[in-house]
Amino acid sequence: MNGPRRGGAAGAIRFTFDGRALLARPGDTLAAALLANGIGLVARSFKYHRPRGIMAAGVEEPNALVTVGAGGREEPNTRATDLFVYDGMVARSQNRWPSLAFDAGSVLGLAAKALPAGFYYKTFFGSAKRWMFYEWFIRRAAGLGDAPTAADPDRFTQRAAFCDVLVVGAGPAGLSAALAAAEAGERVMLVEQDRILAPSLVRDPQDLDPAWAEATAARIGELGGRILLRTTAAGYWDDNLITVSQRLAEPGEPPAGGIAQRLWHVRAGRVILATGALERPLAFAHNDRPGVMLSQAVRTYVRRFGVVPGRRVVIAANNDDAYLTATALRDAGAEIVAVLDTRPVPAGATSGFPVHNDAMPLATKGARHHLREVSARVGGKVMHWRADLLAMSGGFTPVVHLHMQAGGAALEWDDASQSFLPGGARQNVVSVGSAASVAPVGPTPPPENPGKAFIDFQNDVSLGDVDLAWAEGYRSVEHLKRYTTLGMATDQGKTSNMAALGRLAEKQGVAIPEAGLTTFRPPYTPVTMGLLAGRTERDAGAHLRRLALFDVHQAKTPIWQPLGYWKRPRAYPQGGENLAEAALREARSVRTAVGMTDVSTLAKFEVSGPDAVQLLELVCATTVGKLAVGRGRYTFMLREDGLVFDDGTVWRLAENRYLLTSSTGGADRMAVHLSYVRQFLCPQLKVSVVNVQEHYAGIAVAGPTAKAVLAGLIGEEVPRHMSAVGASIAGSPVMVLAASYSGERAFEIYAEASLAEPVWNACEAAVTAQGGSLYGMEAMEFLRIEKGHLVVGGEVDGRLTPHDLALDKMLNKAGGYIGAAGLARPGLTAPGRKQLVGLEAIAGTIPEGAMLVTALGQPAGGHVTAAARRVLESGSIALGQLVDGFARHGEELVATSPTRSQSAAVRVVAPHFYDTAGERYRD
Amino acid sequence: MTDITITALPAAPLHVFEIWSNPAVVANRFEAALGSSLPVLGAALQLSAMRLIRYEPTVWLAEGDPAGLAEILGADGSLTAIGGGVVRVRLGGPGWRSLLMEGGVFDAESADFAAGSSAATLIDHVNVRLYVESDDACLAYVPLSYARDMIHFWTVAAKSLV
Repeated sequence: MNGPRRGGAAGAIRFTFDGRALLARPGDTLAAALLANGIGLVARSFKYHRPRGIMAAGVEEPNALVTVGAGGREEPNTRATDLFVYDGMVARSQNRWPSLAFDAGSVLGLAAKALPAGFYYKTFFGSAKRWMFYEWFIRRAAGLGDAPTAADPDRFTQRAAFCDVLVVGAGPAGLSAALAAAEAGERVMLVEQDRILAPSLVRDPQDLDPAWAEATAARIGELGGRILLRTTAAGYWDDNLITVSQRLAEPGEPPAGGIAQRLWHVRAGRVILATGALERPLAFAHNDRPGVMLSQAVRTYVRRFGVVPGRRVVIAANNDDAYLTATALRDAGAEIVAVLDTRPVPAGATSGFPVHNDAMPLATKGARHHLREVSARVGGKVMHWRADLLAMSGGFTPVVHLHMQAGGAALEWDDASQSFLPGGARQNVVSVGSAASVAPVGPTPPPENPGKAFIDFQNDVSLGDVDLAWAEGYRSVEHLKRYTTLGMATDQGKTSNMAALGRLAEKQGVAIPEAGLTTFRPPYTPVTMGLLAGRTERDAGAHLRRLALFDVHQAKTPIWQPLGYWKRPRAYPQGGENLAEAALREARSVRTAVGMTDVSTLAKFEVSGPDAVQLLELVCATTVGKLAVGRGRYTFMLREDGLVFDDGTVWRLAENRYLLTSSTGGADRMAVHLSYVRQFLCPQLKVSVVNVQEHYAGIAVAGPTAKAVLAGLIGEEVPRHMSAVGASIAGSPVMVLAASYSGERAFEIYAEASLAEPVWNACEAAVTAQGGSLYGMEAMEFLRIEKGHLVVGGEVDGRLTPHDLALDKMLNKAGGYIGAAGLARPGLTAPGRKQLVGLEAIAGTIPEGAMLVTALGQPAGGHVTAAARRVLESGSIALGQLVDGFARHGEELVATSPTRSQSAAVRVVAPHFYDTAGERYRD
Repeated sequence: MTDITITALPAAPLHVFEIWSNPAVVANRFEAALGSSLPVLGAALQLSAMRLIRYEPTVWLAEGDPAGLAEILGADGSLTAIGGGVVRVRLGGPGWRSLLMEGGVFDAESADFAAGSSAATLIDHVNVRLYVESDDACLAYVPLSYARDMIHFWTVAAKSLV
């Protein structure tokens, strides 16, 4: 840039831009620091790779997008105007090759006439394969910055806040509103996206002493108000919920406390929007050249940052505000060579500047990416000025984004200011200050060369593109937006939408408000995905659920298996075993001797009270009422539509006290279901349903010698199959339920979780003494598949009836259970339903999840729900769902998984491969 | 960093005290036996050997020695042990209210949430019950399976509070 740089000391903050070492002063934005270092060319435009400089001084900046930071902290598309320089900051320009100054992509600018709006749609025809070819070139020719590939090392937090009044924007209006609310005794929260209070007062100290802002903020603080700087209200949702993003570190900066940003969920009684207004650019040929800036932005750089962006300045405006910029520049030593005022005389007549009325810029010329000349039409005559800075102002647009996100009923058109003002709102929100009202403007003559008059600088959309879209039949503003890409990307049209609406209205021959508006969607400014994800980018806020015996398992270095949020041991490898080897050894131990495993995650509910059986017979589709004390039985549960959604066991522990178990994966769903039944279907029952899933840790001991193991542990007669006793192991009271999920005689031992470790240790010692071993979920899967036990989420997938699962003989013949009515629907007993079958491989290994087909290429008639190998013998077996499967035993099919290129010939059999008579349960 | 201590307390007897019939009669029996009314929703009753926190409309959490509660309930309710599945975590120091706002959805900073108050809420997606012991301490009742992660979450979050 040719203009004067900043006077005084160079600053002490070191940073680099495109590898060049530079210095900044504390409080500088990157844009201010670049200008102070004489750098005017900052970016290349999205489509034509046109040279671009800094246009604005705030979040509306469409041009000066940079990539900042390194590694996982790298952040692309960051506005240089909304990035405060810190020591060691690394910034670089983007969308250019090989360099910013010499960008090969700028050749596209020479072909701009061939690349108008809708160019993609008109050019890239053909099949999807062709598009893959085109895309390679398109992505390299156009675009913004590249997303980082490394994981973000920083953390993000989310926090709730409640207040009576949320004030957005700490300018004079916002501070005044916050102070008034605080003095009225209300809980006040004030957020400001800048890092200083009332930045507009620094720009325009003639309005109010900037010290007033500090004093006001201090008073608000004394009254208990909370003020957050560098914090943006990004989204406004129902019930006055506002999401607010707070920067604790600048983009790319290592955060001091490890936390880069915080997302606030603010619930406010009412919201005051003091969000200010954005200055609009003027449309004329080559208005996107470095050195063409918004007028208020220029004033901000002069007054706030001490940077004078040009020495010879032309000012072009349709309003009075631009004269303040002229004054600021003159006071800073710049020469105002012309003020082009679109309004007729007497606008600006007494300003003392060389004012030209009825004047509008025609075009600019530049050299080496700098502004050199401004030409204008002044009252019908073309005039030229040598200048290195053009400060323009096309009026102001109130920031109504949050108002509209809040459900603003409509915006009201203000003809004097040529802007939309916030109207009524469905929520308790009000706009104040320049967010509610802006100064009037004069006429804005249309450009003489609309093809080079840019309105959306970020997307390289000119007025000529709007004209083209109109000519091609795009009438709706929404269609215009999508066809031209106007108003998209990171700035969301903050500086462009009004110009486009004006042009569209002109084409339609209507007033601007009749041309329509696009939708204001959150976020107001870009929000990093990490902030939305939560605590870290890795767990996205999801906690790990640990077993009560987690440390005991961890000491044995098992292979862990995620199961929902739980982590359960999948296998306990020994001596270099892999998963399959360990699981087979463990399963064989259960078949031949004894094994033990952790079953703590099973859902468990204690149901007590004189009406407990009534509730259970409503929930369970099997009979419960005939259970004797100390006995249990298998059960399953139906939804109201008659389909099975879970299974488990029910135990009568005492006269009016039962324990209901169900699946791990369905535990939360079952808790909700039981609560629904208890509170809504039968609130009159005298019954208590308490979720004791985590109260009890569970240990299953299974195998031919399990009975001997347990007898040694409890020192008394063990319960027979499906019976329960209370006992003591290692000094801890336990509940022993004789139930099996393995096909072997087995016991589930439940102890209060805090007392479970000595129980586990005693069991493990006894099991080891019997030559047994621990087993994990993989072995459990082998065992249950071989025995034909169901698993919820596999065979029980919510689509099958008890009949489909061969459970219908267990149904409570008296009915009355949830789902009984739904089960009577004819469609649930019609032919063509999928039914549970067993599958044994004729050749090969059955792929889990495979489709079942009569021959390759034929439609699927079912699928494999679970597959395993036989435990003691060889051979691959599986469970599956097959259309009319009960009648197809003996049929040969193909189990095929095209995505894995695996197939196996299978024979349909009964879904029991081991001890079909159940003799191994009996003593 | 705000001064906050995060301490997992030893396991304690915790029972669900549920009334399914004649609530007024049970309430009278309770008051006659223990000299205090059953706490209302959002509140707790601290007795010498026991604390009773209103959990749900018909359910209270009884912490400590439950002796006598079964007799008070009689045939109108039941007492069920759940202490094995709950970890009590004491959040101490002046910053505990701010800490509870991290990942929270509940207004722990409200002056109404004073000593003796209780609440049920979600913190970072985990269901947690709260009891305000004093201006300087709050007890959080956390499901056992989530407890270690929650304590870690709070420990990290506390470092970010200023």
